[in-house]
Amino acid sequence: MNRQGPGHGAVSRRTLVRGMAAAGTLAGIGMPFVARAAEPIRIGFPTPVTGPFGAEAKDQIRSAELAVKQFNEAGGLNGRMAELLVRDDKLNPGEAATRTLELIEKDRAHFIVGALSSAVQLSVNEITRSRKVLYISISQSDTINEAKDFSRHTFHEALNPHMTTAAVAKHAFKKGTRVAYLAADYAYGHEMLRGFKRAAAAIGAETAGEILHPFGAPDYSTFMPRLRAMRPDILCICNFGRDQANSIKQANDFGLKKASKIVVPVLLHNQRLAGGADAFAGVVGASNYYWGLEETVPTAKAFNDAFRAAYAGAVPTDYGAYGYTAVRSLLMAVQAAGDTDTDKVIAALEALKYDVAKGPESYRSCDHQAIQSVLVTESKPKSEMKGEVDLFRILEVEPGAEAMLRTCDELGHRA
Amino acid sequence: MQTLDQTVAEAPPTVPRRLPIALDGVSRWRAPLSILALLALPFLLPSQALAVNVLIYGLYAVGYNLLYGYTGLLSFGHAAFFGTGAYLTGIGIGAFGLHPLLAMALAVVAASGLALAIGTVSIRSRGIYFAMVTLALAQLVYYVALQASSWTGGENGLRGFTVSTIDLGIVSLDILNPLTKYLFVLAFVGAALGLISRILASPFGAVIEAIRENETRARACGFDVERTKLLAFVLSGLFCGLSGALSAIHLSIVPLDSLAYHTSGTAVVMTLVGGAGTFFGPFVGALTVLVLEDVLSLWTPHWQLALGSVFILFVLFLPRGLWGTALGRLTALRGRR
Repeated sequence: MNRQGPGHGAVSRRTLVRGMAAAGTLAGIGMPFVARAAEPIRIGFPTPVTGPFGAEAKDQIRSAELAVKQFNEAGGLNGRMAELLVRDDKLNPGEAATRTLELIEKDRAHFIVGALSSAVQLSVNEITRSRKVLYISISQSDTINEAKDFSRHTFHEALNPHMTTAAVAKHAFKKGTRVAYLAADYAYGHEMLRGFKRAAAAIGAETAGEILHPFGAPDYSTFMPRLRAMRPDILCICNFGRDQANSIKQANDFGLKKASKIVVPVLLHNQRLAGGADAFAGVVGASNYYWGLEETVPTAKAFNDAFRAAYAGAVPTDYGAYGYTAVRSLLMAVQAAGDTDTDKVIAALEALKYDVAKGPESYRSCDHQAIQSVLVTESKPKSEMKGEVDLFRILEVEPGAEAMLRTCDELGHRA
Repeated sequence: MQTLDQTVAEAPPTVPRRLPIALDGVSRWRAPLSILALLALPFLLPSQALAVNVLIYGLYAVGYNLLYGYTGLLSFGHAAFFGTGAYLTGIGIGAFGLHPLLAMALAVVAASGLALAIGTVSIRSRGIYFAMVTLALAQLVYYVALQASSWTGGENGLRGFTVSTIDLGIVSLDILNPLTKYLFVLAFVGAALGLISRILASPFGAVIEAIRENETRARACGFDVERTKLLAFVLSGLFCGLSGALSAIHLSIVPLDSLAYHTSGTAVVMTLVGGAGTFFGPFVGALTVLVLEDVLSLWTPHWQLALGSVFILFVLFLPRGLWGTALGRLTALRGRR
């Protein structure tokens, strides 16, 4: 700068100022037009990237991004592209509420999809329904279906505890079976426990006893002898994520699996990978999705193939698939509505019959719960596994039916 | 004093003369100036929801600082007051249909009452024992909220009290509008800042600082140390309760986390990052922590690593916090005049 002298510097600065002014004017004139022509369809996606559900969250993001990519490659909504705005909710309801507010107020998200823990999804729901923004929840919850937390802006794409426990119980429980429960002491554990007991009462299975453990407990050794003393035919472990892998491993170490069968409400792909084949062998649970479904369901094959192509041969996981089914169904509804207008999209979603990964699905009108199939799966022993991700045997596919759900009356919805 | 002298020695030879006078003005008008600075906040930060959080946690840290920075009592239980303020505001509006302002007022009174109870028990002990007693009592409050799930929503948190408009008699505020909400919260935070500034400038403010510096000497001077400490504790609980009440209005949910011990830790971290024992420091701390969290977590899932490293740098190189260090530098300049 010194060598150039003052005159040179002044000229270049003036040019720069002029250039900036010109650019600013151009941007000012041009931007609104450009923005209007190709305003993207923005989908806010809060999910717990950090925290114990991080692995599930990462799969959700990958699946959701795949759905967005496919929509855009197919031309979007008459050339209007979709965009996924991923935010870390840190598995914290307060953080999730702030993030959702940001997504709505600052990023002008048209729709919100996401959340994994029940407390977090309920807080997201509280924000979206007071601001009349469409929200599709992809985490298991019974509460969100109930009239108190429901709004016509809320859809629930995930299975709910009532559905999964009923499917598992129908398969595993018999009249007179003695069932002992180990459940995580928070909403998810309580709801699963309630679901199982309800199903057990209908079937005529007996409760041998129940133990609640703190959420995120690292050690289960104090519970195992007490559970064994109950002499159950079935040990029912109602927890999620790392808790599931840790407690099943320890049940194995204490020899509980030899004495009784282990049943879980939701058998998780990632936790089975983390826990290992030996610990999980023979454990029965329910699932919304397993990639092995591709043998019988053509849309599952298409979804898996697209996923494998996009992510170096990896297969989608159960909770990950929720990201895909929710975003795909949302974008299908946007297409059907021909607009991002919330009311039109709600109407389109209510009317939508979709089959994007796991067979036919549709939203029930009273509580916007997705009516869909429930898979009952069993973890394979190492000797039967054909590959790294050949984890489960599908024992049964309980087809989607309204009979699986609690009635609208029971949930407090007035016709 | 050593660090201060060093700073003096390192100060540049030319010192602007107007600065010291300006500095006196700044400290005299600290509350109005703080409010002015906060008025600009929603336009500077990435989002208004974040700006409201800065206000709320700033007030929380300022309230905490009254006890920690000025009285010298390290409490690990301030989430109890924050959470009580939040829960009772939510319950008041949701379950009893109270006017939001009335619910907030009752919640703040209850948080102060809780502070009186916890303070009475805990100020008998000192140092780490004091910290542990406050932590234990706050955990008690946490478990009460967890167990009383029919009132508090338990693990799912409290919902069902969304405030969309606040009727003030003459006007009705649309709280769903982000800027209106910001100004509504700022009105409370501003009033609280004015009050805290007044408290600190009063003889009582001088006594709590005397206790922080040398408790024995303060007692020898004839001050009732126990009562002063208790009053500081209650005032601190009051302001933290107010910040909790505002957070309930802001988020329209009360997560159980608001009573958890890491919310107590948040107050400590924010106060330390900003500068303990300074008037505006806790706000700077809240701003720094929240903005870093917000921005870093957009960039990388490993934001905790980055945030942790930043905190380590703060502890190593800015032991008096951002604001404390800045004030120290300025004071040093004045000393040179």
